[in-house]
This record gives sequence, C-alpha cells and structure tokens, in this order.
Amino acid sequence: MYLSLFTEIMCSMFSRWNWVACGFYLVLNICSPDASGGLVQSCGHIIPESPVLALGSNFTALCILNESCLDFGNIYASQIIWKIKNKLVPKEQYREINRTVSSVTFNDTSSLATPLTCNILADGQIEQNIYGITVTVGLAPEKPKNLSCIVHQESVLTYVMNCTWNPGRHTFLDTQFRLRHSWPEEIFPDCIPKDVNNSCTITDIQFFVNTEIWVEATNALGKAESDPLVVDPIDIVKPLSPQNVSVSSGVLPTVLQLCWVNWISDAVMMLKFNIRYRIVGETNWMEVPSEDTASTRTSFIVQGLRPYTEYAFSIRCMKEDGVGYWSDWSEEKTGMTTEAQPSKGPPIWRIIDTSHSPAFWTVHLLWKALKPFEANGVILQYEVTIRDKSSPSSPVKKYNVTSTNHTLQLREGTYEVTLVARNSVGSSPPSVLLIPASNSKAPVKNLRTLPKHDKLWVGWTAPNSYVLKYVIEWCLVSSSSDCIIEWQIALGGVQGVDLKGPSKGPTVQTKKVGKAEAVLTWNHLTVEEQNGFIRNYTILYKTIDGNETVVTVDPSKTEYTLSSLTSDTLYTVRMMASTDNGSRTGPDFTFTTQKFGKGEIEAIVVPVCLAFLLIVLLGVLFCFNKRDLIKKHIWPIVPDPSKSNIAQWSPQVPAKHNFSSKDQTYPEGSFTDVSVVEIEADDKKSFSEQDLKPFDLLKKEKSTSEGHSSGIGGSSCMSSPRQSVSDSDEGDTTQNTSSTVQYSTVVLNGYRDQTPVQVFSRSESTQPLLDSEERSEDHAGGADSTAQRQQYFRQNGGQDETNTDRPCFERTKQITHANEGDLVGFVQLQISGQSSQPLGLGMEKNTQEAAVSNVLQTCTEGQTVRPETVEENPLSVDEMPKSYLPQTVRQGGYMPQ
Amino acid sequence: MAAAESPSAALRRRDLCSRGIRLAGKMRADVVDLLDAYVEQQGLDASASVAAMEGVPLAAVERWDEQTGTQRLLENLAAYRAFRTLLAQMLEEQREQLGEADAGLGRALAAVLLQVSAFAYHLEELLRLESRGIPGEEGDGPPPPPRLSLFEQKLRGLGVLRELAQWAVRSVRDLRQLGKPSSAAGTAPGLAESP
Repeated sequence: MYLSLFTEIMCSMFSRWNWVACGFYLVLNICSPDASGGLVQSCGHIIPESPVLALGSNFTALCILNESCLDFGNIYASQIIWKIKNKLVPKEQYREINRTVSSVTFNDTSSLATPLTCNILADGQIEQNIYGITVTVGLAPEKPKNLSCIVHQESVLTYVMNCTWNPGRHTFLDTQFRLRHSWPEEIFPDCIPKDVNNSCTITDIQFFVNTEIWVEATNALGKAESDPLVVDPIDIVKPLSPQNVSVSSGVLPTVLQLCWVNWISDAVMMLKFNIRYRIVGETNWMEVPSEDTASTRTSFIVQGLRPYTEYAFSIRCMKEDGVGYWSDWSEEKTGMTTEAQPSKGPPIWRIIDTSHSPAFWTVHLLWKALKPFEANGVILQYEVTIRDKSSPSSPVKKYNVTSTNHTLQLREGTYEVTLVARNSVGSSPPSVLLIPASNSKAPVKNLRTLPKHDKLWVGWTAPNSYVLKYVIEWCLVSSSSDCIIEWQIALGGVQGVDLKGPSKGPTVQTKKVGKAEAVLTWNHLTVEEQNGFIRNYTILYKTIDGNETVVTVDPSKTEYTLSSLTSDTLYTVRMMASTDNGSRTGPDFTFTTQKFGKGEIEAIVVPVCLAFLLIVLLGVLFCFNKRDLIKKHIWPIVPDPSKSNIAQWSPQVPAKHNFSSKDQTYPEGSFTDVSVVEIEADDKKSFSEQDLKPFDLLKKEKSTSEGHSSGIGGSSCMSSPRQSVSDSDEGDTTQNTSSTVQYSTVVLNGYRDQTPVQVFSRSESTQPLLDSEERSEDHAGGADSTAQRQQYFRQNGGQDETNTDRPCFERTKQITHANEGDLVGFVQLQISGQSSQPLGLGMEKNTQEAAVSNVLQTCTEGQTVRPETVEENPLSVDEMPKSYLPQTVRQGGYMPQ
Repeated sequence: MAAAESPSAALRRRDLCSRGIRLAGKMRADVVDLLDAYVEQQGLDASASVAAMEGVPLAAVERWDEQTGTQRLLENLAAYRAFRTLLAQMLEEQREQLGEADAGLGRALAAVLLQVSAFAYHLEELLRLESRGIPGEEGDGPPPPPRLSLFEQKLRGLGVLRELAQWAVRSVRDLRQLGKPSSAAGTAPGLAESP
C-alpha cells in the first residue's frame, strides 16, 4: 500500500516533468521485478527487520535507500525523517551515515512503539513513507524462584508430581516455561505448563532415586533456569488418606476399634498416623498420642472413652519418618461404645406428709435421674428397698419403679431406703437415705439467699458436728400455685450453693406481624429445662438503635401481643424465663413490622375505585340523557332518496315509537313512520324461565363433560368472526330466515365491550338486506342467545370460561372446514353430553386462557359479558390432573406464594 | 580401618544403601505385579517352567555369604545392566507385537526398566564411593540374542521377569550386607590403605 501511494504522489510531484518520464518511473517502480523476484520494489528498507528489544536498552536502526530511487526521485539520506506511530522522532537522534543511509538511535527503548517508520521529506515538504518495522519491547525472563514439588497419590499405584514456582516479573513477551527433571544418567521429557506459567504436573514418577528438578524460562530475549531441586520423590509424597474406615465396639465399654485400609503399599513407604475423635455433637477434637500410632498399621483400639457414647473418628497418614506431607483427614466415621453399669446411685430425698395422722406417714420418695455420663446407658428401672430399722424382724420391702418418685404409706418409725438404678448391664451403687423416726439433727443456722447472676445463692452456717451432706428444699411462693417442694443436695463441706435456674430460655417467634403489633408465641420449657418453677416470662424487645423494652408475662401464657410498634421497622426480640433460682434468656428473634396496616391499602383503593365507577356511571347517564343531541352531532340521519316511496306513504299509520326529537329534526315529516327499537344485548330479563330451560338441561350435560374447547375453539373463532344467517341457532331461524325484513339497522355495534345500542329503523323497502344488515340481525338474535348462554355459564360456575365460546363454535362449524372434524365432534359432545371429557384437554384451558379471552371478545362482540375467572368444578381425587398449580388453585387450600 | 571412610562418605553410603534397598523392594513388588499381567496378556501358563536362557543372569550363587562387598556390587551391576538391555528389548518386542493395544503392560515394563536403570546407578555410585573403577558397559553387555520365534520371545520375557524378581530379593540382601558397619571394612581391606 505504501508503494502504490508513493508512486501516485511521485507522479504528481514530478508533474513538471513530462508524462513519459512519469510513465517510465511507474514501470520501473511497480513492474520491474526486484532481486527477490517480487513484483514491486521498495525505495529502501530498515535494518534490523522487526527486532525484539530489551526494555530500557538502547537501539539503533538504519534506513537504507535504494540507488534506483536516488536516480529518479532525487532522494537522499539527508531527507529521511523517522517516525514512531505517526510521531516524529527528534532530529537530534538521526545521523546521516552516507547519502543513502540514515540511522536513528534511541537511548531507552521504552520510548519506542510500533511501527517505526523511515520516511522521506521529498521536495522539502511532501512526506512519504519508505519502510516500516515492528518493534517489540520486553524483558528477558527472570530466574524462576521458589520451586517446590509435591507428589500427590491419585490411586493405589498412581502418583503425580506437581511443581510450582514463582515465574518472576512479567516479560511482555511470549515466554515459555518448561519443568525439567532428570536422573544423573537419564533425562525425562519436559513438562510444559498449559494455560499457566507457574506450575506443571509430571505424571511419570519413580521413587527412591534422587531426581533433579528445575524450571527453564525462555523468550526471544533470553533464557533463565531456576536453582535445581534435588529430591527423592518419595520424600515429598502426600498420600491418600486411609480408606474404608470402620468403627466397631470392643469388649469393654470404654474402647472402640478402628479399622482401615492403607492405599499405599509397604514396599513404597511405611506410614504413621494421626487419629482424632470427638463426641458426636461436640466440636472439640481429641487426638490419640502420636507415638501410639507412629508405625504402619491398619487398625487401632482407642481407649478411655465414655460408655454408651457416640464418637466420630477420622484418620490421616504420612511417611513414617515424617518426611513429606500429611494426607487429608479421612471422612468421619462414627461408632458407639457399649453400655456400662451406672457409675453412681441417683440422689434421693423424701417428703413426709403427716397431715392425716402423726402415726402414719405418707412418704414421697423423690430422686433425680442420672446424667448420661453417670447412667452409662438406658436406665430401665429403679429398685427401691425399704428396711424398717425400728423392727428388724419385719421383712424388707422392694419396689421396682420406672419413674423418679415413689409414694409409700408407712407407720412412724426409722427406715432405711436404698435406691439403685439399673440398665441393661447392671445396677448402680446404692443410694441410701435414712428416715429417722424423729429428726434429731439441729437445723442449719443463718440461712440466707442472694440473687447471683442467673441463679439464687443460698448460704448457711455449718453446724459444729460433721455433716455428710445438706439437702436444700425450696418451693415457689406464689398465689397461683401451691408450694411444691423442690430439693437439691449439697455436699457436707460447703456452706452455700447456687440453686439452679432454667437451663435454657424459651425460643420465641412471631405468629403474626402487623403494622404496629406483633403476636409472639413460644413453647413452655420442659420440666428438665425449667429446673424449678417458672415464675414469669420476660419479653425483651428493641429496634436496632432503640432502647430495650421489657414486658413481663404470666408463666401460663404461650402467646403475647406486642403493641405500639413502629411500622416497617426491624425488631429484635428475646425471651427470658425466670424461676426463683435464676433466669435464662432464649435466642434472639428478629422481625420487621409491616409498612401498611391491615385494611389500609383497601381503605385507599376502594374509595378510589368507587369514585371512578361513580364518575363513569355519571358519564354514561349523561350520555344516555343527551343521546339524541349526541346522535345529531355525530351521526345525523341522512335520508336515503333511493328508499323513498311516496306511493306507499300512508298518513293513517300512527307514529308508533316516535321520539319528539325526530319530529323536531324533520318537521316536514320526510319520515312519516320511523320506529326506533332499542335492544339491549345483555337483556337477561327478556328471557323467561321457559326460555332458560333448554340451557339448564345443557348445563347439566355440560357438568358431566367439561368444556374442552379452548384451544380449538379459540383459533376457529378468531379465524371466522363472521357468520351467515343460516348458520345461526335453530331457535333464531324464524327470525333470521325471514325474507321480508322490516328493519334495517341504523346503529349496530357498541364500541368494543360497551353495551351497544342497536337501533332499528323500520323501512318499507323490499330490497334484500345487505350482508351487514343480515349479520346484524343475526347477531342481535345470536347475541341474545349468546348472552343467555353466557349467563348460564356464569350461573353454572362449575364450567370453565372456555365454554363460553361454544356458541361461536356452533355458528362457525360449517364454515370452518379446517377444524370441521374436531368441531363436529365437539358439538356432538356438548349436545349429547354422553361422553366424558378427557382430562388432558381440560389442562389446555390454563395455558390458553388469554386466547379464550380474545375469542370471547370476538364471539360475543358487543356483549357485556366479559371473561371472568371462573371457579372450577371440583374434581374427584383421581380426576385431579397431575399438575401442581391447578391442583392448588382448585382445592383452594393453599396458594403457592 | 573403618575410620578411613570420611563421615560424609559413610553417610552417603548408608543413604545409597537404604535407598537402594527400598528401590529393590519396590522393584520386586512391581515385577511380581508385572509378571501376573504379563502371563495373562501373553497367554502363558503361570506355572510353566522356563529353562535357563543365555544372557539372563542368574540370581542364585554359591557361597553367597563369602562374597566381598565389591564382588557383590560388581555382580549386581553386571546383572542389572543385562536386565536393562533385556527389558528394553522386551519393550521393543512388546510394541512391535501389540502396538498401542496394551499400553498398560508397556507402561509397567517401562517403569520397571526405569527402576532397573536407577538401581544400576545406585550400584555405580556405591562403587565410586569405594574408589572402584566402574567396569565399561560395552564389554560386559550380553551378545545380541539370536532371532527367536514369537513363542520363544514370550517365554524368554517370562524368564527375564522371574529372574529379575529373584535378583531384586538378592540385591536387598546384598545391600543389607553392605550397609552393615563391619562390611565397609570387609569389602575393601586394601582400598583404605591405598593412597
């Protein structure tokens, strides 16, 4: 491109020469083959051709002009100018070496860009390009650093070595990295990274031989090698974690045996292991001492576990000597220790009721269930033994109880009560309670209580004598309930104890959220969680930045309504259960109040709609009242001279439906007998009960066969909006087929869905009716029936709206040939009602609802009947289509949100 | 006597021995696996006995415990060099026969070949540590085997692999013997003194 342009300009440049010379020049420059055999010859070239330069280095280029151009163009090296991407290089950087060679020097290649062009300033001002080169500037690769490799085990026999390195700075050039590895006498194929420049994976790995690994980076400016890494691949293995871990319980209730499979053979490497375990449900892991698992094995017995507790285990492994990498942890496996006999007897106490008679006691024995780590299994029963100490000869009474209390009738005396808990393995050590005939112990002194955090602290002064244990009894002092005694045992050495508060707080949530109120619900705490009697609940709620509001609620309630909330605000609520012994707060729950209150939207929308309707109604009434005026202005009656018939003019005929306005409009009486009949298209009242009967029958038939006309009917209706007179309903034939028609239509249709006012003017003409007139009459009749049917359909309610287009089918069935077969069958079905409708067709209705709406508008043109959302006939269960949405809508129980 | 060996040399020697023992162990395991695959793939009877063949070094030796360390190393080296040639030949025959049809067997053969090469390198290094000249390979190499029929090739391959498995066992024992502290002195009583 450069050359041809150059030639063109040279011709204009040398215009003062004669055309012959110019032509000769062209021939020389374009057609003479140069030394390399090409067709064109340039006037010069640049050395070096397309160099790759190091960023920041200096660079000199030479532009050498061809001798031929000197002869013809009068061009010399002194005229050469250099440009970088259309930007002139300062002349200070040029040097004219001889009359054909000019050089340019750049001290810093970062100022270079592509292309670098050699141009000639011919004739002192016309600049023309001679040659251009592409200059690539970049950096030589840096020495790759931090080379490290890991051998990943991929299967029992497959190992791959992945090496990563730091590739160094960006070179701006295409730089190739290759990972190389070799043995002293063997060089392996290179690993060339794909899509990345800092890692590569070698698949052919041999162990037990020191392998030298290094990275080579090469680009146009040079080559760099990383420091070699000399390693035996066996020393950098990350093995697969042990597989098929299984846990089995051992003979002892405190041990579990782990078995697994190692995926690395002993010939390759010996392994050591880490075994960790935790109680299921807890997060803290415990670890088997590593020295116990420091050699290759495939099983291990973990000891010192709790009986009847589920543990989760996982294992990892690495090379036995610790050189290499740990495998990932194996997937967790759980196992349960077996039951052991309960470790201690349940704490026991008694309440003696002497109210009936001081000599006969009602003794309530109470004990507490063992904690899981004491029960060591499922407690099957408690064994209570009563020994009468006052009469040793009396037999020992034994009771097996499954609950945690037992009531006895005893004669006043001294008794020894022994209680053991029993599980499937054995019995607990006995808990012994002595019930003396009279309490000889002095009561403890200085009993005092103090609330402490969530608990109630009870303190006392210890008596001088030795105390084995204390029993603290307490009850809730409340007007609403009796004093039901709670108790707790404290060991002898202490002089104070914290009575336990609830172990957890209630979980509160909202039942209903309104604009300014929210209904909160919660569940009662279980007896175990209460640790006493709930005195009250406290609801604490606040907005994000507001103060906390506290409400106290009666403990019997499980629901509370927060009122006076701010609308559209995020609230955080939590709930605290309080017993005499303390309080405990449950988790936080957040909710956002609504923006609008209940009925607020309706309060706005309904009046607006009513007002709109009122305006529309008033407008309609106004139009109705002024219809004559409107008519006069918009469509005045223009007399048709061709229809005038003076001969039959009969002044005797009384004017029947004359409107005074017409008389006013035509005072001369050019229309002697003009009658206007208004027929309301939707005039339901005009049909007697008798008229409706056939439709009722039809309705019943249709109830058994749901309309399945939507799809077909929709299209056929749309395609043939017109119908002939002869196609209309049979009931209308007498009216429609009459050859002598007394009425011609003046006004036919209402606009779109508006109720049309059909005005017929009587005519004496004997001319056949125009098509439009016939149609309109037919339509008037048909419309009535259609309206009637639609009324029926609406009454029916069980039919879907697709049925409403049936009259259209009936009228169009003869002219819609394409769907004839379908339609005939359809009509038969609808009339006979004997065949039940396939369920599948009913499904079409939903998808084609829109089409049906259109059809309705077309078919019932001018009717006031509009497609409505019609309630479905309830189907029996097995009739229900296997479809989600219709089911839910039909059943009405659940609407997908 | 043993003090003549520098600590770093002793360390290197021990490292080479232990690595060699493990390499031989893995090699034996791999060769046993390869034998199964080979027998199945070549349609041979696993219990077929193969007569001693020319060029296949025999692992069995009389008075094994009387051998010196150097002698052990040299015999091992000669054997593994021979196996290297034999296995390379087997690999070639394998490719000729099956092409890429059974790449798995080819890969396994190549892996064993690599291990044999590596083991030979270990032996050379051990010999170097003992300041022993390493015998030239060409002179010791087995003569080119006569052209064999396909079945003979298969049988020969079976024999090579079996013998290699035997050699792997022997090599482990040889290297253990060499790794013993006393054997260092015993192997080259004259070498330590020589300047």
